[in-house]
Amino acid sequence: MSLRIRRNPRLERIRRNRLHPEYESLMAARVSAIGPTGLRRINPHQTGFVMVQGRKRLNRLNPDGVGFAGAGQPGRVQAKEKPLHRVADPLGYVAAVLDLPGGRLSSHDRDVLGLAQQLAQAKDEPHAVLAIALGDVRETDLGGAGADRVIQLNQLHNEPLTGYCPELKRAILNATEQHYQPAFWLFPDSIDGGADLGSRWAVQLGERAAVQAWQVSKETTVCRGGSQLTDWHRPTPRVLLLAPECGAPVEELRHEALPLELTLPEPVSVTIEDLGPVSVDPSQIALSEAEFILAAGNGVRNWDQFHQVATVLGATEGASRVAVDDGYMPRHRQVGASGTWVSAWVYLAVGISGAIQHLQGIGQCETVIAINLDAGCDMVRRADLTVIADSEAVFAELLNLMNERQTGIAPQGVTVHEGEARHVA
Amino acid sequence: MLTDWLLPILLFGALALMLIGATRRVLAWRAGRNEPVAVVAGLMAMPRRYLVDLHHVVQRDRFIANTHVATAGGFVAALALALLVHGFGVDSSILNGLILLSAAGMFVGACCIAWRRRNPPGRLSRGPWMRLPKSLLVFSTSLFLITLMTADWFPAGLVGWVFSGLLLIGLALGLAEMLVGMGWGGPMKHAFAGALHLAFHRRPQRFGGGRSTGLKPLNLTDSTLGVAKPTDFAWNQLLGFDACVQCGRCEAVCPAFAAGQPLNPKKLIQDMVVGLSGGTDAGYHGSAYPGKPVGEAKGNPGQVIVDGLVSAETLWSCTTCRACVEECPMMIEHVDAIVDMRRFLTQERGETPGAGVQVLDNLIATDNPGGLDPARRFDWAADLELPLIADVGKADVLFWISDGAFDQRSQRILRAFVAVMRAANVDFAVLGNDECDSGDVARRLGDDATFQRLARHNIEVLGRYEFNRIVTTDPHAFHVLANEYGDFGGHYRVQHHSMFINELMEQGQLNLQPKALGRVTYHDPCYLGRYNGEYESPRSVLSTLGIEVQEMTRSGYRSRCCGGGGGAPITDIPGEYRIADMRVDDARAVEAETIAVACQQCTAMLEGVVEPRPQIKDLAELVSEALVTEARA
Amino acid sequence: MLPESRSKTMASQAMKIAALVSVGQHPLSRRERRADQDARAVELALSLSPELPSLIHVGSARNESLRAYLGMGLNNLKVLNADQDVDAVPALASYLGEQALDIVLTGVRAECGEGSGLLPYAVADQLGWPIVPRIVSVVSIAGGYAEVWQALPRGQRRALRVPLPFVASVDPAAEPARQSAFGPAQRGSIDSRPCAAEPDQARANWQQHPAKPRPKRLAVAKGGTAAERMKAATAKPQGQGGQVITEGTDREKAEAILARLVAEGVVR
Ligand SMILES: Cc1cc2nc3c(=O)[nH]c(=O)nc-3n(C[C@H](O)[C@H](O)[C@H](O)COP(=O)(O)OP(=O)(O)OC[C@H]3O[C@@H](n4cnc5c(N)ncnc54)[C@H](O)[C@@H]3O)c2cc1C
Ligand code: SF4
Ligand code: SF4
Repeated sequence: MSLRIRRNPRLERIRRNRLHPEYESLMAARVSAIGPTGLRRINPHQTGFVMVQGRKRLNRLNPDGVGFAGAGQPGRVQAKEKPLHRVADPLGYVAAVLDLPGGRLSSHDRDVLGLAQQLAQAKDEPHAVLAIALGDVRETDLGGAGADRVIQLNQLHNEPLTGYCPELKRAILNATEQHYQPAFWLFPDSIDGGADLGSRWAVQLGERAAVQAWQVSKETTVCRGGSQLTDWHRPTPRVLLLAPECGAPVEELRHEALPLELTLPEPVSVTIEDLGPVSVDPSQIALSEAEFILAAGNGVRNWDQFHQVATVLGATEGASRVAVDDGYMPRHRQVGASGTWVSAWVYLAVGISGAIQHLQGIGQCETVIAINLDAGCDMVRRADLTVIADSEAVFAELLNLMNERQTGIAPQGVTVHEGEARHVA
Repeated sequence: MLTDWLLPILLFGALALMLIGATRRVLAWRAGRNEPVAVVAGLMAMPRRYLVDLHHVVQRDRFIANTHVATAGGFVAALALALLVHGFGVDSSILNGLILLSAAGMFVGACCIAWRRRNPPGRLSRGPWMRLPKSLLVFSTSLFLITLMTADWFPAGLVGWVFSGLLLIGLALGLAEMLVGMGWGGPMKHAFAGALHLAFHRRPQRFGGGRSTGLKPLNLTDSTLGVAKPTDFAWNQLLGFDACVQCGRCEAVCPAFAAGQPLNPKKLIQDMVVGLSGGTDAGYHGSAYPGKPVGEAKGNPGQVIVDGLVSAETLWSCTTCRACVEECPMMIEHVDAIVDMRRFLTQERGETPGAGVQVLDNLIATDNPGGLDPARRFDWAADLELPLIADVGKADVLFWISDGAFDQRSQRILRAFVAVMRAANVDFAVLGNDECDSGDVARRLGDDATFQRLARHNIEVLGRYEFNRIVTTDPHAFHVLANEYGDFGGHYRVQHHSMFINELMEQGQLNLQPKALGRVTYHDPCYLGRYNGEYESPRSVLSTLGIEVQEMTRSGYRSRCCGGGGGAPITDIPGEYRIADMRVDDARAVEAETIAVACQQCTAMLEGVVEPRPQIKDLAELVSEALVTEARA
Repeated sequence: MLPESRSKTMASQAMKIAALVSVGQHPLSRRERRADQDARAVELALSLSPELPSLIHVGSARNESLRAYLGMGLNNLKVLNADQDVDAVPALASYLGEQALDIVLTGVRAECGEGSGLLPYAVADQLGWPIVPRIVSVVSIAGGYAEVWQALPRGQRRALRVPLPFVASVDPAAEPARQSAFGPAQRGSIDSRPCAAEPDQARANWQQHPAKPRPKRLAVAKGGTAAERMKAATAKPQGQGGQVITEGTDREKAEAILARLVAEGVVR
């Protein structure tokens, strides 16, 4: 959120309407305005609220007499407890089917819930955002993210909803549809399951879903087309597969997250059977797919230590051409113009000088961290964080630190024999 | 006497056997693809090509040149005379005397060869080639003595049945090597195939001091693109392979061989011989492809070469530096053969190795090897305000930017050259985004379809404008524009920036204040030197800058490749060393602090060598640094 | 490549596999080409069975960029002739239904047009077959079932068992497509047959525009003093030279790195 003062018409509307169900909670939050330095401030002039026209009004209902609504600067809201938004008797629903990777809301989920709130509030009749959380849910604050109602299930007729089970999940969506007929069905368009389930659901409903939707209003939707090259402007359909950052996540309000009743569907026969995760050794992941790469160059001497660090950090190994030429690393681990072009989120380059052919290969990396002795080399210029130190010494300390953190639990699942590992790589 | 009737039989018998063998050989060549040649003109030109052009190359090794003159000259003369005297019975003491003289000359030559072969260098093949000097000695001695005998110049008492019998056996052995072997694939085959190869060479322009280095266009509608089987070569290419004398000069200069990559141009040519005649390489007695055993390769005229005869890696190791071609006394065209076979791998099999696939796909989709946005080709010069030829319509110089436009390091060279042109008030313009990759890499990776598309596009674009010459800092683009676009209708006067800057200097257009640079050596780019014969301009530019070039052992036409040509850095076939490292070692050997180069590819390759190493500077950079900049308002 | 042992067991069975292919476009030059994901689907199809897979395209048979698929070593590509704006699903489903296929492979999303990725789902739905999205390999096929590996984020994989016949989309993490060779591409044949595809009504009143750049959401600086938040909001964008730590002990330097790794979420 930026520091720009943004008007929030809805909050302003609530502030002006003492009879609004949220009025109390919102105003309560304003009681103790805390200044940016942490000092509690009471502004003697702020004893009322400002009308749309700019006229000040006294607030007779104010519980302790100091409540004042400024021009609506949400950035200043510092209350511990956010105001609660209630939808008492919804006449309709906006369903948001969440990914919950690892049982927790992803930022993508939060964006979808934020958009769901936007759509719900754009409806003329009161609509509630219905979050559908299937599987192993560890997230405790769905309300904080914008869920007015929740359908939460971790199994269906003793079939767990963890792992890959789009058919079971679809049956639950079907039951939801029959009972609640949501006005919109929102899914994160993600690789964590949302795109898959959403596509299945759209096909089942016979709806032409909006996919990679990034600008959605009640009436129209803008979707990114193939290769991210076009925008499709279209009427908003019932099923939406939403791009990340499609809407602002909910921040100012809490929502009730009341559980909703659901009559369970009949047992479904499942055709696709999940055999479980294939355990993939991070160091064997293909460079092009890796999220975190630890790469070594001519400035690495202790190769056992290097492999150890990679294992402990859970990083995929990469190398400069010199390290490959010298026979310390296999050829398919070479990063760069004549090796692999990588797009890791974090690239940790140790003892690599940053020749242009190497830098070409890491152009897509989000964060580059360097360990090098030479503060003047090109890798340092490219890096977001550099430590000037001997690689072996820093490695030793990293190992110590990780040891102290007591991480490095071996991944579970099917063991992969070498051929398969290479296949994955 | 025994000799009277046996000698003609021996001579004519050997001749007949040779002719049968030779006919078979000719048929084997003719199994290749048809390629029209000027038969009569070629045959007429052959002696001159042999005596002048070939000798010019052989002459680089004085000792062997003289030896060859004595041996080959002696043999040809002795055989011709012997046919007259012993075959047709012409009795003349003058002729007899000449035979003695020729045989003696041959004997001396053979002695020298035998001496050379006591402890032959690794590049020479052994096996039958070790036998050859002995055969030569036996033949010349026998012929000498028999001629003495038949001419009755021999002390009569000495002539006995046993003695003349022994001589005849010696002569027979000699004839078997010299004549029968010539037709049936012995070492002497080179004489017969070599002579015809000179007559029917695929690049007659190379004779008489000319040059022909451009690759030949591929007909894209052929039923097989490129060379799959030996018979897919043009017949005169097959003939050329047979001319190889296994001298190993190509092997000695090949950078890929020296770097331990699996390529040896001599073995490659011998494998082609195995392919065209059928069999295995078990009879090969020279150095192997590094890292590959000898004796396992099999081939025949109808078998796909890469399936058992030559591995694809061998073909992809070549940097197309042409050092082998330059050095080959038999004027064999290794690079043509290698690219022909690559064409098959890329265009029929889809097996371009390494990053080659990516590069070709990028060239197809974006007209540049990096797959970058073609609309941003000209971004590098956003601040330079270069005149676009589309705006100005015509200019004296069309500055061909090349793909260096997309590479930061090359951009420094381009900028330096712009500064030089501006300092000399050159009337130049550029194509901007209308320029495409020249097609050099695509062609050398075997994708002639993409090369031809790019060439046609560029020719079409160039055809819209008026200019006197094209100048480029990229020797590869220079070569392609000058020597390969002609086949598609693009004929231009093309100059490399070294030539152009040299001209500007000679005309006094540049105001220079040379700086001290320490010891400087100059690396000849293959595509400027061997491909285009330009060795002088860069050196003259350097000397105008007050630089005394410390020549490396291998410089000029013998310059060692940087490893950057022919798509070799893209296919990146592993070896024991990096070619660029070896080249920088050459520079270190003359204690150079700066290596002056004249090519952005060389710059990239040599700068890819791990520091500390000499700094790498393009000529354009050296010149622009020496420019005296007048304070302009 | 599939592990050696596996590709052999696969080769003994002749599977009937079809790959649905579309016309792609290069993201920068926008030049038409074979679509990368579709080509990976063809590659996977080629590795599964000794019998050549069939390639099917709905659109114009005259599009030369389709030849790039033939260059992968196929003799033939079937085009269901249709205009650009038709709904390909019914035509495809009815054609595929007639072919007695075991597996139908597609890309995840098309490179041109809407690129919604819904087509494989819709086709599977009409055929009544299961659909498995984002597979990277087919590990085995036995007893009417296939075991496939599905791509998960961060290079992870999941094994799934699915009955034949099925539809699967092929993830960009699958084996890259082999090179398309010019010769076979030119010589392969493109057979077209008419198909009764209807114009895509749903899309009739949509509008297509060049993609508008999406503003990137800035990291929110919460808390701290106003000055700190201001500083965070106006900090230099990444890549313009980062922080360089020269001083301190090796342990402190290691701590700085580890802190960053944790902050980026790659060390948990
Ligand atoms: C055509 C071509 C293609 C190429 N393709 C690639 C490619 O794909 N990938 C690639 O990587 N390279 C490629 N190169 C090679 C590239 O130019 C460089 O030579 C190479 O990247 C250098 O590797 P390096 O950084 O490991 O070694 P160096 O350049 O030797 O750098 C070593 C670094 O380690 C530091 N260092 C030394 N000791 C220590 C220590 N104890 N602790 C910490 N730091 C230390 C040094 O300060 C230095 O910065 C290519 C070159 C060419 C010409
Ligand atoms: S062209 Fe150069 S690299 Fe190729 S074979 Fe000849 S000498 Fe070797
Ligand atoms: S190809 Fe030429 S240089 Fe090489 S061995 Fe044969 S004759 Fe000698």
